[in-house]
Formats: sequence, structure tokens, C-alpha cells
Amino acid sequence: MQINRRSFIGGMAAATAGLSLSAVMTGHAFAQGTDTIKIAFAARGLRTIDPHKSIQGVDNWAIIALYDKLVDLPRWKFPETQDDLAPRLATSWSSSADAKTWTIQLREGVQFHKGYGEMTSEDVKYTFDRATDGPRVGGVRAKFTNIASVETDGPYTVIFNLEQPDPLFLLGVLSDYDGAIMSRKAIEEIGEEEIGTNPVGTGVYMLETVHTDPSQGITLAANPDYWDTPAATAKIQCLYIADTTARTLAILSGDVHMIEGVRAPGWADSMTQRDPNLIFDVVSPGSFFTIQFNLTKAPFDDIRVRQAICYGIDRDEITGAIAPISKRTYGLNPPSFPGGFTAETIPAEVAYNYDPEKAKALLAEAGFPDGLTFRNDTSQREDFSAIMLMIQDQLRRINVDMELNIKDHTAFHADQNIGTNIISQQSSAMPPVPTQVILTYLPAEAEVKSDGNGGSNMSHYGVAIPGIDDLLAQALAEPDLDKRIAIVQEIEVQALKDAVILPVSNNGFMIVRSPKIDLGFEVESGYVNWPLSQASLV
Amino acid sequence: MARYLLLRLADAVPTVFLVLLLVFIAMRILPGDPAIAALGDMATTEQLQLFRERMGLNDPLWLQFINFVKGVLTLDFGTSMMSNQSVLGLILYNLPYTIELTIVAMLIGILLGVPLGVIAATNRNKAPDSGVRAFSLIGYAIPDFYLGALLLITFSLNLGWFPINGGGEGFADRMYHVFLPALTLAFVKAAFIGRLTRTSLLEVLSKDYVRTARAKGAKENRVIYGHGLRNALLPITTGLGLSTLATLSGSVAIEMVFNRPGIGKLLISAIAERDYAVIQGGIVVFAMFVVLINLMMDLVYIVVDPRIRMK
Repeated sequence: MQINRRSFIGGMAAATAGLSLSAVMTGHAFAQGTDTIKIAFAARGLRTIDPHKSIQGVDNWAIIALYDKLVDLPRWKFPETQDDLAPRLATSWSSSADAKTWTIQLREGVQFHKGYGEMTSEDVKYTFDRATDGPRVGGVRAKFTNIASVETDGPYTVIFNLEQPDPLFLLGVLSDYDGAIMSRKAIEEIGEEEIGTNPVGTGVYMLETVHTDPSQGITLAANPDYWDTPAATAKIQCLYIADTTARTLAILSGDVHMIEGVRAPGWADSMTQRDPNLIFDVVSPGSFFTIQFNLTKAPFDDIRVRQAICYGIDRDEITGAIAPISKRTYGLNPPSFPGGFTAETIPAEVAYNYDPEKAKALLAEAGFPDGLTFRNDTSQREDFSAIMLMIQDQLRRINVDMELNIKDHTAFHADQNIGTNIISQQSSAMPPVPTQVILTYLPAEAEVKSDGNGGSNMSHYGVAIPGIDDLLAQALAEPDLDKRIAIVQEIEVQALKDAVILPVSNNGFMIVRSPKIDLGFEVESGYVNWPLSQASLV
Repeated sequence: MARYLLLRLADAVPTVFLVLLLVFIAMRILPGDPAIAALGDMATTEQLQLFRERMGLNDPLWLQFINFVKGVLTLDFGTSMMSNQSVLGLILYNLPYTIELTIVAMLIGILLGVPLGVIAATNRNKAPDSGVRAFSLIGYAIPDFYLGALLLITFSLNLGWFPINGGGEGFADRMYHVFLPALTLAFVKAAFIGRLTRTSLLEVLSKDYVRTARAKGAKENRVIYGHGLRNALLPITTGLGLSTLATLSGSVAIEMVFNRPGIGKLLISAIAERDYAVIQGGIVVFAMFVVLINLMMDLVYIVVDPRIRMK
């Protein structure tokens, strides 16, 4: 075909007219299906729906819909005691006097999706054998290292043998998403990798579609043969919208029903101004935002400098600015956790109530009467940068100039994980197990390494100066919960006295919900993903 | 013609190779371990090692580069380190969305920009001309991602005329989804094309043959469109080529703002996650597009201006 100027220009005009016309003709208001609840998360796409390999927290919303756990939180809060846990695939349980052996009775007649048969003790054993098998699974393995072995006693009885006593085994190990029970037959037939996008659980929803467009995420469809109360809504679509503006507009326009909130000052207020009917579901404690001082870097090897920084940070101001997501914390374990210190119970010498004059006096005593300057890394992620910018501003008031180097989140962690930062920052969600935060940040064996293969003890506590390792060993060997908590509190006070770590705030996970969605329960506290099985459009 | 095309393609080979090399080096300089990005901070050393082995990250750099180039030559870009999906599959899914955004934006930009340029040129130093010049200035000054957010809030959120996110399914739905993002990009294009048309047309309208046409009693429309605009098309076409490339680049921000699939959004996500395979594949495709668009513009010159002939 020969192209000349007339046909070229004419063709272009015709094409444009056609496109414009089709755009106008299809310019209808986009329909909102009444049988699908849409929830948008701050991520770029699904990573995996394998409970043992999940590394992206928001994927766990789908995991807990597709799979069942042995026990679950009462909807939706951390229980006062383990006795308040909700039985799911487990119907009853008991432990030995030393809290090292846990026997669990399973529910009979529960079927896996897609005809993979009845869930039995073999599946439970297979699940936890897999969870503790290093090369096969992801980062969850550390949580299960205390499981020495899993035995079966008939098809409906499972016995967990632990290395060390764990009086909170059910709550701390079995009640989170990674305690989901998987089908042995399905994993063997479908494959170790493929099960991540072709899941087979016993849950109230089944996977319907993994959309090719990552932002459209996945769609789950109600399991018609569910053993418990059926799903209240036919489908749930988990979308991934990383851009804050796009996600915000999506809920304001009614395009989605729920979105993950933004942990930035003023964001919740601006949303309320725009639509006062929106509901903010916040689980506390969410992520623990802590800072650690690098004891190997001068002048932070001087306890007076570290204490000065602690007194110079106004944590009430920080939590107030990021309300309602952010809450004050006093010890390393938040007030809602067993043994967590409160404003009333924290010993005065480690409370570090905001006191800029005391901070200046400590700096002067340490040889810095005119203050000091140092360079520190932080992440561009909104919670990190917002908190660190506020701290930067507060420290200026005590003549400390913290020059912030704001990095891409992956690069920030890559550098911090080889121990380059002065004041390191971590934001991690943890189960309500008092020893967990201690194990993560304080033991000598968790010391950060320059090759990146170390742990999250960024301060070098227990190596640069004596630490809490003996006390921690005592706590882990103690089967009595009250006595264990007492030792943990002693550890917290010691670490705070040494000023190696400062708990800044607990930043709850927030979901903004359209008033059209009734969850069927109130969200109070708990893990950062709660069941949508009884959520309905009203 | 075939020989001409082959020569032009051969010219592009060193450019593409240089792009491959730069992309490869940039990825290795970028801080952040892809294994940790893929498996998370809590992964054990053993798991990280296995991942690096599986993804070929433990191979010497020169071998990784050779494998990368081989992959490009056979259109095998590997698999995404994050989602385990084929990179080619991801590109083939996302590419049409970027292409349609670029095409629709260009078409709207031309439809708005050329008439505006004609109006300005034929009303030189009068109110319409001042208006078009002001429009051009605004078009240049407003960042497209900001304009996109404004349009999104106005037309999608407040008026509900257009969807908030996504790329749509099926032709009509896709056009419905692409219209607002394309209009955002087209606004800047129209400003550029309008100014270019004005300048080019003013120059042509001062030529002797235009004066002759008028002296012969030709109607004004015939003078402007038949003699003026036709001859002003060549510089406009050059500008369009550059503008198309700019639109392609601009699509990155727009795809993020409108949360629609596309190569730009794919790349931004991959960079944040250090997904080497996707970044490399995506940039190679972008580079190919630049080469292709340049080639197409060369061909369009021949169509638009019969005086241009291949030697």
C-alpha cells in the first residue's frame, strides 16, 4: 500500500476521532459490584501466598483467608490469656508442666480446597516440619526454631515437642498467619514454588484469580464447602496500589472499599476532612519503631551522649503527630503485651521523659557543651522519614545536628544491615511474646555483621559492652509465665539503663474502611491482618 | 527502502549495546541486595546463598553480562526475581498499555496543538495569539504528574466521569481508562506542538510563493492549509518525533499517578525491589522503542516531504 500525505494525515485524524468517540460513548460511571469487597494495599504486587515464604505483610491478608490456623485470636484483639484463644482447626489443647510438650486435638472432617482431602495430623506435622526446614522456606523459620519435633498420635492428635519451655506457644507461635495448615498432598503434587500462587488451604475463601496486572492483585471466591460459618461476601479482591495518592483517591471515589492507611503526620486528619464517614481501623501495637545507638562509633560509646539523645527526644510529640496510628510505648514490649511497661510502671530512671535541659547538661558533661553534629541514614518510607525528621528537629533544640541522609528503603536496609548507621532504626511487628523483642535486638549472637550476615542487634550490645545474654538464657529456660515476665522486665530495664536502645513509638497498622463495609466485629488490637470472612457490604 | 531500513537499524546496534552495558553496570552499582529484597531481612544466609545461586548472581560479572546479552538476543530476559513470572511475559503484558497511552496522548496533542498553532499564526500579535502563547507557557510549566493528580481529583474523584485506576479490559474500556492519563500528557504535547506550528507556519507564510498564491486570488483557507501548513509540516514532524520520545518518558510518572499498568510502572517497581531481570528487560525495550521511533520519524519525513529521497 502506498502512503501519501493525504492518506497519512487523514488516517491519523480518523483514528483520533474513533478513539475519542469510543471514550465518550463508554463514559459511564464505573460500576461497583455488590458481591466483591475490594481492599487496596500499599505494595507493588503479590509476592507469594505461601505462609512459610511470605515476606510482604499485606499478602498475609489473603493467606489468612485461604488457610486456617490451629488457633486464632478472638476477633479482633490479643487475648488476656491463652485460654481466650479461639479454637480453629484445633479443638482443644494441653501442655506438660514444664511447657515443653503441647498436645493438640484436631477438628474432624475439615476438607482442603480442590479435592485434596481431609486435613489430618499428617498435614499438621508436614506443615511444621516444612516451616523449620531452612532451605525450603523463608524468614519465618526463626520463629519455629524452638520446635524440636512434631509427632502424630492418630489422625486427629498432634504433639509438639519444644527445645525450651514456652508457656505462650499457642499465642506466640501458632496463632499468626505462618501457623496456617497446608496440605501435604497439595504441596507434593503442585510443587514447592508453585504452591505460592496456587494455594490449597481449608480457609473460608479459595483463590479464584491471580490477575496479570499486579495492581489488580488477586481475587478470592467463597469456599462453598467451608466447615465453619460461610463467607458473608462472595468475593474479595486484594489490590496493590503503592502510590499513596492513587490509593487515597481510590477509596475516596468509591473504587475500593478499604485501603491501607498512610503512616504520615496529618494524613488521617485530611482523610476525615474529605469524608467524615470513613472508618479507621487501627490495630495496636502494630510495628515497634525503635532506635539503637551504635556503641562502636564515637561519641555514642559514651553513655552520657546516648542518654542525652534519649532525653532530647519528645516521644509524646511524635506519637501525637502521627495519631491515631501511633501510640506511646515505655519499655521494649508495648503496654498491651504481657508484662509491657506502662507510664505508671516504667521505673523513673529509664522513663526518659522529655527533658531538653537534662539532655544539654549530659552533653556538656560528656564534653559537648556546644552540642554535636553527626550524619545518619534513614529510609524514605513515610513512617521512617516522618519520625526521623521530627527527631532531627527535636535534637536541634539540644544543639545536636543530625544530618539525615534519606535513602531508598531497600538501599537503607542494605547499608544498615552491614552496620554502617549511627542511630539505627527498626520497624517490626512482633507477636505478644515478651522475649521476642529481646531476642531480636539485644543478644550478642544477633550482633550486626559487616558482611550482612548478622542479626538486628545494631548497637553491638553484649559485644561492645556487657549485655543481657545471661538474663535472656534464664528467661528462655523459665516455664512459669509470671516469672519469665519478671526476668524480661529486668532485661528491659538493664538495656534502657545502658541506653543502647530507645523504643520510640508503636505504629499501628491502619485500614481505612468505607462505612458500607461491616466487618462483623470491632478491631482493637492483634496481628496486622484480620479476617474478612464475615465482612459484608451494607 | 529495505536497504535504507537495514542501514538505519545497523546504526542503532552500537547504541543499543551501549545501553545494555550501562544498564548492566548501573544495576550492579545500585546499593541493595536483590536476594534480601526478594527473601526479606529475616532470610538465613543459606537461603540467600541458594537464591543467588539460582539467579546466577554468584557468577563473575563478565559471565552475567554475556548471559544477559545472549538473553536479549534471544528475547529471553529471564524470570522476575520477585514474582517468578517471565520477564518477557511481564513486558508483553505491560507494553501495549504504554503504547496506547503514548499514541492516544500524541493524537490528542496533535489535534489540539496544530489548530492552536494555526490560530496563533494567523492572528499574530492579536488576542488569540497571546492566548495560545499563554497556554503554551502554562503547558511547559506544569509538571505532568501534578497536572495528572489535578485532573484525577477533578474528573475522577469529584465528577466521577473517569475511573481512578487500572488499565481496563477490552478496547472500549481501555480507551475509557486511557483518556484522562493521555489528556494529561497531551496537554504538554499540545503546548509544544502549538508553539512549534505557530513558529513554523509564520515562517512559511512569509515566503514568496504564499504571497504569490494570495496575489493570484487564492482563498485564505487554501493559502493557509494548502500552501502554508503543508510546507510547515516538516519541522513539525521533527518536533513530533522528539515529542513522542518525551511522551514515552512522561508515561512513567503518569502510570504511577493513575495506577495503570505499563512499562514505566513496571520499571519503577522493579527498581524499588532491585529486580535486576525486570529492570534490564524493561530498559532494553525502552531503548528499542527510542530507536524504533527515530526510524519511524525518518520514514515519515519521506511521506510528508516528497523532496526528501534516499540517496
